Order: sequence, then C-alpha cells, then structure tokens
Amino acid sequence: MKRTFLGELEEVVLLTVAVLAEEAYAVTVAQELDQKTGRAVGFSTVHTTLQRLEEKGYLSSEMGGATAERGGRRKRFFRVTAFGRKALREAKEARETLWNAMSPQTLQLMSN
Amino acid sequence: MKPKPHAGPPRWAAWLLSRWSNPDAREELQGDMLEMYAYWLESLGKPAADRKYALAAIRLLRPLARPTHATGYSETHSFSPAMIQNYFKIAFRNLLKSKTFSAINVFGLALGMACSLMIMLWIRDERAVDAFHTNKDQLYRIYMREYFSGKVQGVIWTPGVLAEELKKSVPEIEMTTPFSWTIQQTFSVGNKIHKQATNWASGDFFKMFSYKLLQGTAEGALRDRGNIAISRKMAEAFFGSPEAAMGKAIRFDNRKEMTVSAVFENIGASSSLQFDCLMTWDAYVDDNGWAKDWRNTDPLTFFKLRKDADPAKVEAKMLHLLDKTNRDEGKPYKTQLAMQPFHEYYLNSNIKDAKMDGGRIEYVQLFSFVAVFILLIACINFMNLATARSSRRAKEVGVRKVVGAMRSMLAGQFMGEALLIAMLSAMLAVLLVALLLPAFNSLTSKQMVIPWSEPSFWGVIAGLLAVTGLLAGSYPAFFLSSLNPVRILKGALKFDSSSVWVRQGLVVFQFGLSVILIVGMIIIYRQVGFVQNKNLGFDRENLVYFPIEGELFNKFDILKEQLTQIPGVKQVSHMTATPASNGNGTDGITWPGGDPNGQVRFTPVGIGYDFTKTMNLKIADGRDFSKEFPTDSSGVIVNETAVKVMGLKEPVGREVNWGKTKVRIIGVLKDFHFQSLHTAIRPLIAYLGARQPQGSVVIRIQAGKTPETLAAMERICKKLNPAVPFTYAFTDQEYARQYQSEQIVGKLAGYFAFLAIFISCLGLFGLAAFTAEQRTKEIGVRKVLGASVAGIVGLLSKDFLKLVVMAFVLASPVAWYIMKRWLQGFAYQIDIEWWMFALAGVIAVLIAIFTISFQSIKAAMMDPVRSLRSE
Repeated sequence: MKRTFLGELEEVVLLTVAVLAEEAYAVTVAQELDQKTGRAVGFSTVHTTLQRLEEKGYLSSEMGGATAERGGRRKRFFRVTAFGRKALREAKEARETLWNAMSPQTLQLMSN
Repeated sequence: MKPKPHAGPPRWAAWLLSRWSNPDAREELQGDMLEMYAYWLESLGKPAADRKYALAAIRLLRPLARPTHATGYSETHSFSPAMIQNYFKIAFRNLLKSKTFSAINVFGLALGMACSLMIMLWIRDERAVDAFHTNKDQLYRIYMREYFSGKVQGVIWTPGVLAEELKKSVPEIEMTTPFSWTIQQTFSVGNKIHKQATNWASGDFFKMFSYKLLQGTAEGALRDRGNIAISRKMAEAFFGSPEAAMGKAIRFDNRKEMTVSAVFENIGASSSLQFDCLMTWDAYVDDNGWAKDWRNTDPLTFFKLRKDADPAKVEAKMLHLLDKTNRDEGKPYKTQLAMQPFHEYYLNSNIKDAKMDGGRIEYVQLFSFVAVFILLIACINFMNLATARSSRRAKEVGVRKVVGAMRSMLAGQFMGEALLIAMLSAMLAVLLVALLLPAFNSLTSKQMVIPWSEPSFWGVIAGLLAVTGLLAGSYPAFFLSSLNPVRILKGALKFDSSSVWVRQGLVVFQFGLSVILIVGMIIIYRQVGFVQNKNLGFDRENLVYFPIEGELFNKFDILKEQLTQIPGVKQVSHMTATPASNGNGTDGITWPGGDPNGQVRFTPVGIGYDFTKTMNLKIADGRDFSKEFPTDSSGVIVNETAVKVMGLKEPVGREVNWGKTKVRIIGVLKDFHFQSLHTAIRPLIAYLGARQPQGSVVIRIQAGKTPETLAAMERICKKLNPAVPFTYAFTDQEYARQYQSEQIVGKLAGYFAFLAIFISCLGLFGLAAFTAEQRTKEIGVRKVLGASVAGIVGLLSKDFLKLVVMAFVLASPVAWYIMKRWLQGFAYQIDIEWWMFALAGVIAVLIAIFTISFQSIKAAMMDPVRSLRSE
C-alpha cells in the first residue's frame, strides 16, 4: 500500500471535517479553523486543500440540496473516508510514539 | 444571514469567479464564497471583507488554482497551464527553427517601434514647450488684424502702449506685458564685458510666467526703471553667484547703470521666450520714444486673464479697442485685436489671412504620420512573412483542430505569438532608442531624455506593443485558424488566390508608403536647397554686418573712413535692420491718387550712403542717395513691389505722405528679399538715415581675404569702442539659420525614408527567400532542362518587381498631393517635376532588385542535383 502522508495543514483540515461531521463544507471548515485555531488560513487555501484531500482519497464529497441563502447554489459536503480515518489515526499514533519516547526531564520542561 | 442589497461582494471579483473559476467546482465555490463574504463582513467589516473576497477570488482562478480531477474529462479550455506551456514551447521552437525569419521579424518590428518611440519623444518635447507655466490656461498673446479694401492682414507685433491700455479698458485682464524682440546687448561690470540676450517687459512679467526666481521676488523684480533681472548664467559670469549679484550695479550699453533686482534660473529649451536679462518696459520707452505712439508697432503683447473670465467675451471686448486711439487716425482702414492662447503660440505661429494657421504643428502632424507609416510597414512585414510561411504551421493547425482546438483558440495562440514577438521587439526598441537618442538629439538640437520614471512612457510602450502585436498578429491568426484540417492533413497546402492577393496587396501598400517617403525626402531636400541658393536680389556672399552700438553711434564717420581703408573692404554702409531679416512695418504711407481704402503696410528701412552698392542691389529707375543732393534727406527709395502697390506709372519724382510729412521718391530698387522666403516680398521704403546711424554696419569684403579683413575690422572697433566686444555676422549664414527647422525636417525625412525602405526590404528579402525555397524543385527541374542562371533570376524577380512598380504608380499621386500642400507653406516654392517621381521609382526598384537578387541568385546557382535528389 502507498505510504500515507498527511501535511500539517491537511491534517488540521481533515480533523476539522471529522469534528464537523455532517455539517462539513468549505465555509464551515474555514470558519471553524478561524475560530478554533485562530490561524489565518485563506478561504482559497481551505478550498484547494479540501480538493486535494478528496483527490488523495481521504475525503469523499457529495452535493447537498439547494439552499436559498446562497443564491440557490448547492453545497458540497465532505465526509472523512475509512482511508482518511486511518490516516488520521496513524498520524496521531506517530505523534504519540514520539511523545512517549521523550525522557522524563524533557517532559518536565515541556509542561512548564 | 442575508447580504444587504448594497453590501454585496465586489462585482468584478464575483464576475471573475463566475467566469474563470474551475468549471467543475464553480457552483459550490460561488455559494461558499457568498457565505464567507457574509462571515467576513460581520467579523471584519466591509473593506476587509471586500479585500478578502477579491483576493480569494483571484486565487481561485483557473491558472492559479490547483487543477483538480486529473482523472475524468473536464471541459476543454485553452488556459490550462499545460496548454499555456505548450503554446510557449511551440512559439519558441518556431522562433529558433527559422532564425533568419525570426530575426527579420523581430528586428523589423524593433526598428519600426524605435522610430515611433523616437518620434513620440520628439512630439512630446515639442508639446512641452511653454506648457510649464502654472497659469498657462489664462495666458494669451495679442495679434492684430488689419482690414483694408476687402483684404485682411495679420500682424503679431503690437503698439508698445497696448499692454497698459488693455489692463485699463478690459476688466477681465489682470496682468499684461509687452515683450520686445530679444537682441544682444553689451553689459559690463568693472572690466568684465559680455553680450547678453536682452529684452524688456512690464512689472507683471514674472507674476504671469512661471520662470523660477533664485533671488528677488516676482513683485519686485521689475518695479523700477533702473531694475534689471538677470539669469543665473549672467549672474555667475559677472558676479560669481546669484546671491552675490543681488542689488549690484551693472552697466548697460556703456551708458546706463542698472541695479540687479532679481536672478532667475537659466531659461531652458522648454520656453519659447528666450532671454538672459530683462529690463523694464519704461526703460525701453526712455530709449525709444517712438514706442509711445499708437501708430508704431514693436513688441509682442501678452496678458493674463482672471480665472473666472470668459475668453470669448474678452475677445469681443478688445476687438474694437484700437478705435478710440489714434492708431487708424486719418487712415481708411480698421485695425482689430485678436488673441491666441500663449502655449499654442510655439506650435501655431503662422498667420494666414489674419488667422493663426499652423506652424511647427504641421511638422508634429507630419511626423506623427511618418511614425504610423513606419510602424505599419513593419507590421506588414510580420503579417506577410507569417502568412507566407503558414504552410510550415499548417500541419500543426490541422492536428490541433483534429484533437479539438476551436478556431478562437488557434487565433488566440497566433495572436499570443505575435504579442510575444512584439514584446521582444519592444525590448530591443527601447534599447535602440536609448543608444540612438544622443545622435537624435544632436540632429534635432534638443535635449530629450527617456522618461524612465514616467508611467505614461511605459503606458505608451505597452500601447505600442499591444497595437503592433494585435495589428501584426490579426491577419495570420485569422488566416491560419481558418485552414481546413482535412485538406491540410491530406496533402500539401494550396493557397487560394485570395490570400495571395492580400499578401501582394500588402507588399504594394508597403512599397507605396516607402515611395511617398522617398518623394517627400527629395522634394524637401530640393526646396531647402532652393531656398538657400535662391537669388535674393542682393549678393549675400562676403557680406558682413555688426551692430552699431556704444561709441560707434557717435563716431560712425570715423569708423566708416577707417574701415574703408582696410584693403579687404570694398564698401561700407549702414542700415536700421540686418540684411538677413527685416520685419519692421509702418502704416503711415499714403499717396495722392491712391485708393483711400487701400492701405498697405510698408517695411521702412533707414540706410546710409552707398547702401545699394554695398548690398549689390540693382536700381531699376532713378538714382541712389547721394551727398551731392542735400534734399535727399526728404527723399526715399522704394522697391518695385511698392511701385506696383501704389500703382504709379512714373514713380520717380512723385511725392508721397509718410505720416504728416511729405517725401519724394528719388529712385526705385529692383525687388530683393529682406525677409525669409516664407513670406513674399513686401513694399519697401528706404529713407536716408545718415544723421543718426543705428542698426547695423554693413560691409562688403573681398572674397578670399576674410580672416585678415575681420581681424583689421576688430582692431578698429576695439579702438573706437573699447567698452563693447566686437561681434559680427555673415549674411549668408544668418540667412541659412532662418531655415534651420526646414533643414532638420529635411534630414529627418531622409533618415525616416531610408528606414522605411530598409524595413520594407527586410520584408521583401524574407518573402523572396521563402519563394525561392518553395520553388527549389521547380528551379532544379528548370536547370536540368537547360535554363540559364539569368533566366531563373528574372523569373524569380519578375513577380516582386511587378508589385513594386504597381506601388509606385499608386503612390505617386498621393505623394504629389501631400508635397504640394507642404510647399504651400513657402511663398517661393520649387515646382514638382516628373523626374522627382522617376528618381523615387528608380530608387525603389533598384533597392528591391538588389534585395531580391540576393535570394534569387542564390537559388539559381544551386546545384540541381542537391535539390532534386530527395525524390
């Protein structure tokens, strides 16, 4: 199997989609990122990242029903695929392995 | 969250998004962006939201945004990065594949653009003259219209008292100044003596015009009749620095002490008024009492309107201003005043039928046309070569069409290529201009620089680039994209007759333009030569003159005696003007039996004894002034034109009135030119100015002894007039100077005609090379069957020569018409003769033959074995 690799921004976006569950589309993801992490991510960046994640197979998407407040335009909802969940898990595990490998003194320093 | 009706995102950004974003994601993107905009609007406010929206929209445009869905088909579009890359790759490969043609294209276009740029710089420079005055929209110049017996005549020189009167009688006029004729005068401080260009103006002068004052104020510069305002150069020459000059005394003409009241920055080339120092008009009147009289004309008059004044009303008010003065007193004609915006005066200085009518503006227009012509010729080269060589690209077009390219995309591709080449050319052109500008400057005697930092300059270049690219690319793009893929891919491409027609038409057009330029060049050259060598009615060679000034005024008799003793001097006399140019005028001449309504302006000149001998003038009737006739002081000599104007049968001995005094005609001179040939000979009236010699000393010297004679003259003048440096002028040189702008134009026309023909030939060279290449096999077969080299050269050249000849036939009438109009600016013109056209035709044909023969001889000499062996 191809080695899964997630970029840092990709990981955050993927996590956000997972957090938002049923309500995940480009706007909510961008707003969530803006509010929760406070990092300045442009909307176009979010949009392209979502597309890239879908291309890589971490996300699947479907068009929702038309809504009036968007000028009758449909939303594209994203959902994390099984492959995406696996990738998230692996990323988390990889971090935990590294955290666990730290010596107690270093850990002490970290918590200060 | 509903966006308010007027609080929507920037429209252009929304449009960009709807038009150019990825078609696969367009719908949800637009929706998402609307929601984001509402979110930003709430959290950040309108400006930031607009900014963010626009930024995101731009970043989501197709070439910038990431291409998605590598798998699966999406809508074809010619702006995907891969296609753009491909266009560039193909364009560069094509450029490199045929280096000669690319070089011809790029170089030809670059030359054309460089020419246009240079001409634009020149035009810009011409237009900038007098544009620097802050009040330029309120500044005007007065000129007079004189009506007599149904005719009207325009005069730019006005009565010296007019300036004051205007201010008094027209309330809208805020400031006025007379401005005399700039002349060289002698100034001295201690033992430093210099000649400076001197003029006189009113106290308003520096308030009206924006000449920068380094010392002193605009109000105080010319307040008192003892004041003088001097230039930085003059201040440095006399006092070392502008600061040191203020308030110091300077001696004028070795008779008056003036006080420096202001120092102004040296006057640049962008000013049409040129002077080193200014004194007050009052001071001028002190020296020249006659300037107080309305009947005399001398200075130019300028005025400044109030900001809110209506120029049309002012013009109506001043129209009859002179009626209440004694200007037209006892005379049967009317003088009216008219005005012209001051900044137009440099480019529109000719008066015709009492209206301002052209001037240098005609050259500006002429060269604008030339610039367009040359650029057009270069564009045609490009069009021709591109279409002629289209068979090379035809397969590419076929394949592109088969895999789905639409016509518009192909057209876009070829336009893009043309723009690319235009861009290369533009870079080369800017480089060329930078290199050639010093030479161009010395040719046109200007100080132009490339305005690198001006956005308008880059705008012009961008415009030039766009126009050339689109113009040059339009036909090839249209033609190539119209090819039928089935026919191209099936076999060799056959041009239909229409494209050949267009191509030949373009060559004809191109050479037609070149022929017009060559004819123009020949005629301008001849006219300038004609003017310089025309028999003026006097002998202008070896005629020296210098001003009577300082002590010479009183010591004239001694001066004349001593000068006559110099071995190289033949005759000595004097006159109140200079031999090369006399623009004075007087209205006061009436004669018994003359039409009371037929008033004519005469040119008066005071002359000394022996004047006619010195100038080598011919006497038609009567005699010259002579010391043996004491009554000659009330005698005058007129020229033949004057006799004709007065309609006198027996002019000698007749009495005429000059103002209120009676004078008697004692002689008639054959007509001679005392002004430039732009103007016709005017009636001249010469009086004996022996009592008060002023103006210039005129000396006829012997040919071949010039240096020693001049040295002797200088010695005598130095001794008699130690306070004034000796300066002299040769009549023929001064005369030639009046045609400086014609000479420059003649030279420029020559260079541009050469360039036009050169660029045309570049194109012809390319076309000939291409034809020869296409007909390689045919030539091979002909040679095998026994054709001679000469026969083949003839065969190849014939087609092109036909076009050049046709161009000549079509262009000649156009050239004739244009040049006829140009010649009308001269009162004395050459005739346009057939040989001028013949010469232009021969030049065009010869150059064309020379160009073509390169290629045709090469093709004809080729070994047929090599051209035929591949089959």
